[in-house]
Amino acid sequence: MSRRNTELLLLAVVGVAATIAYASVYAARFHDLRRDSIVTGVIFLVLFLVIHLTERRYLPQGDPYLVPLAALLSAIGLTEIYRISPALALKQGEWLLIGVALFVATVLVVRDVGRLAAYRYLIGAVGLVLLALTVVAGTSVNGSRLWIRVAGFSIQPSEFAKIAIVIFLAGYLNQNKEMLSVPTARLLGVPVPPLKYFGPLLVMWVLSLVMLVFMKDFGMSLLFMATFIAMIYMATARIAYVVAGALLFAVGAGGAYQYVPHVHERFAIWIDPWKTAATSGYQLLQSLFAMADGGLVGAGFGRGYLLYSNHVPTVPDLQTDFIFSAVANELGLAGGIGLILLYLLFSWRGYHIALQASDGFSKLLAAGLATVFGLQTFIIIGGVTRLIPLTGITLPFVSYGGSSLTANLVLAALLLMVSHHSLVVEAGSTTERLRLAEIV
Amino acid sequence: MDRAISRVFLVGAVLMIALMANLAWIQVLHAGSLRNAPQNHRVIAQQLRVRRGLILGFDGSTIAGDALRSGFYHRTYPQGPVAPQIVGYDSARYGQTGIESSLNGYLSGSDSGTQGLVDRLLGRHSPGANVELTIVPAVQKVAQTALGAQLGAVVALDPTTGAIIAAASAPSYDPATIDASFAALAKNPDAPLLSRGTQGLYPPGSSFKVVTATAALNLGKVTPTTPFNDSGTYSIYGGKVTNYHGEVFGAHDFTKALTDSVNTTFAKVGTLIGQAALIDQMRHYGFYQTPPLELPRGMVYPSGRYLGPRLLSPTAAMNPLDVAWAAVGQESVLATPLQMALVAAGVADAGQVMKPYLVQRITSSRGNVLQRAAPSLWTTATTPATAQTLNVMMQQVVNAGTGTAAALSGIQVAGKTGTAQRGASNVAWFIAFAPANNPKVAVAVTIENTLFTGGDVAAPLAAQVIKAALAQPSLP
Repeated sequence: MSRRNTELLLLAVVGVAATIAYASVYAARFHDLRRDSIVTGVIFLVLFLVIHLTERRYLPQGDPYLVPLAALLSAIGLTEIYRISPALALKQGEWLLIGVALFVATVLVVRDVGRLAAYRYLIGAVGLVLLALTVVAGTSVNGSRLWIRVAGFSIQPSEFAKIAIVIFLAGYLNQNKEMLSVPTARLLGVPVPPLKYFGPLLVMWVLSLVMLVFMKDFGMSLLFMATFIAMIYMATARIAYVVAGALLFAVGAGGAYQYVPHVHERFAIWIDPWKTAATSGYQLLQSLFAMADGGLVGAGFGRGYLLYSNHVPTVPDLQTDFIFSAVANELGLAGGIGLILLYLLFSWRGYHIALQASDGFSKLLAAGLATVFGLQTFIIIGGVTRLIPLTGITLPFVSYGGSSLTANLVLAALLLMVSHHSLVVEAGSTTERLRLAEIV
Repeated sequence: MDRAISRVFLVGAVLMIALMANLAWIQVLHAGSLRNAPQNHRVIAQQLRVRRGLILGFDGSTIAGDALRSGFYHRTYPQGPVAPQIVGYDSARYGQTGIESSLNGYLSGSDSGTQGLVDRLLGRHSPGANVELTIVPAVQKVAQTALGAQLGAVVALDPTTGAIIAAASAPSYDPATIDASFAALAKNPDAPLLSRGTQGLYPPGSSFKVVTATAALNLGKVTPTTPFNDSGTYSIYGGKVTNYHGEVFGAHDFTKALTDSVNTTFAKVGTLIGQAALIDQMRHYGFYQTPPLELPRGMVYPSGRYLGPRLLSPTAAMNPLDVAWAAVGQESVLATPLQMALVAAGVADAGQVMKPYLVQRITSSRGNVLQRAAPSLWTTATTPATAQTLNVMMQQVVNAGTGTAAALSGIQVAGKTGTAQRGASNVAWFIAFAPANNPKVAVAVTIENTLFTGGDVAAPLAAQVIKAALAQPSLP
């Protein structure tokens, strides 16, 4: 079966699953079923069929699993958001429409993913400007300055900046990987590359600290720094960068713990939420209580106890940062582990694409995107389950929020382009290449 | 580069596995303690979303009902408070007490059996089961009204079954406003939340003479006509037992010793039978056991000899003076009004003490009877012959003794007064049953902190309750 037919089959399965999930919520809410549930499932499927057709036309050899995974995650997200608030689900549906448009636009505009390497500094600069905009024009929510308002929409630029920075790093690290791999000097007994090449990396470190101090966004700061460390390691295979990077981040985080009250509080909650059960620890404890209620299999979509009678969620920010707790409550441990496995599968496809890629830039780009995706998942799920301190970032594809949903669809588009490109280039003769590209 | 990429993926996979392991800990291994954490109000909040079973009186009237307010059910009390210390309150903030607590599984519908299998599979929650009590609201209200502003308790039961007809405790409270009034109620020195009938431990005073008399008659040490002589004082073991208000009765028989409540004679009888026989008789009436009412642990106390808050062992050593005072219901003997009502019931029911109970029937929301009261023997106090002898003697108490205030026209009441000194005031008692030849109701009335005697304040109250109970078309 061709890659696209495999994808279509998987999408059909997702469409059925999405319809069942939505029908379950609908039945729990209204105690009967109507055609609406089926219609919603169909509309959802149509949106992903647009993506599928775009791939058929432009990326026939793209990975067949990424889009079905993204569709399944989006379906789970939309269902859970609908269950919490039908009005928000409608808005999220609109964002999905915009995300699909952005996916198609990315494929049409970029065409050849290798071209992005040439624009690495420009793209990197755009990423920086996006973040700078947040500091200058941003509005604060929950003590963090993360959003800018454009034409009535709240946009979280860091979600897009993360992709821009990964593109920049892939280009930059691919160009300089030899120099970065050969130490020419020693600092405190540790071999270090020439300062000239180290400069941009210090810029990254400063950037993550700026995010921490000025935007109070510990989650994104951690995500950027960790992605950066992982990428420089993948580019150079030198563990010294990991050690040095971890130390730098630890120093930065330690300083923030001392001097930034917001960060200090996050750590205090993590260490002992019970001490402040009625105040700052309330949200995390409610999240744990909600998950504990889920047990092995949960009560089912739409049947958990997630809303008070006045429709206020039992866990604050349930539809955004804490959406994982909602899923784990309603689908239990089975659903929670299943969701984590879906993220692991998505990342695995990303790394798989990186390993198949033919050039260094594509490899680093795919691996970087897979890393930023997987890490973001780990940071937010780890946060709401108290494995690590809670930092407010979104759960890709599932959390309510337009920026996260659209940015991650762009991320999927880039991975698919790398995947398609490497298969076409790797395949022998020109005829073969044209056949694979399905443009003959 | 490929090896490094694979390694990063492996690290990522390990992190994801850590997430899964942690999730298993939260949702399965550690879930129980998270669910039961005092900071976790989810369980109570969920129960408030399900219509709670009704608590009904024996007449079928609703004592505790339901009303829906903004998606949550809350309790209503259409008749006003009826035995609130027994029925209990149901508060999201302060939890539950009484029947609301002990039968919460049925009332909330969480108990298996109250939910149909189909409902459980579909995750639907059907309303809780209804609990029908043996409490007869009409009698309960007479008892509560009769207590009025006095501190005290009334326990009335059917001696032939053990069903509790009324259990009033004063002062009382309104469970409808518990959330607002709890703090004040909990601090009130008169303890309105206390179920005095089952939790109040009082010196039984002369009402205990029925127990002493039972032991002496059983052992054949005395008969109703055994002669005694009273000089106003009985000296023993370097101490003495005296009569109430220093009265001197002179020559009298054992019946008169009971009807006029002669302390010195009962002290002598106590010496005659000894510690072992006295304590043994107490145990046969149910002392030293917790009456098995359907109430939460700690809401029913056993009666017996106490040292401070601790129930002494039945074999705890006593000197002859202790035995003499215990035989007149003083020394360290403490009894709940429920236990003394059971003493009256034992005499009334030919020496048999039936197991006391509060729940007549539990019915699921679908109408299936889940539980039905089955009266059974709790303990045998004495022989039918001795019980009959005591019955006649106790009739004399009401007809010609200290309990004349309990007499009712057309109904022969049998009873025994008690007036125990506690601090500067009295604990006034009256235990009784009626009609004496075919007992339908047994009562214990306790008034604490009074300057009057049991015959003055407790006996008339008992008469009112007996009259109200016998006026009922049916009793449990």
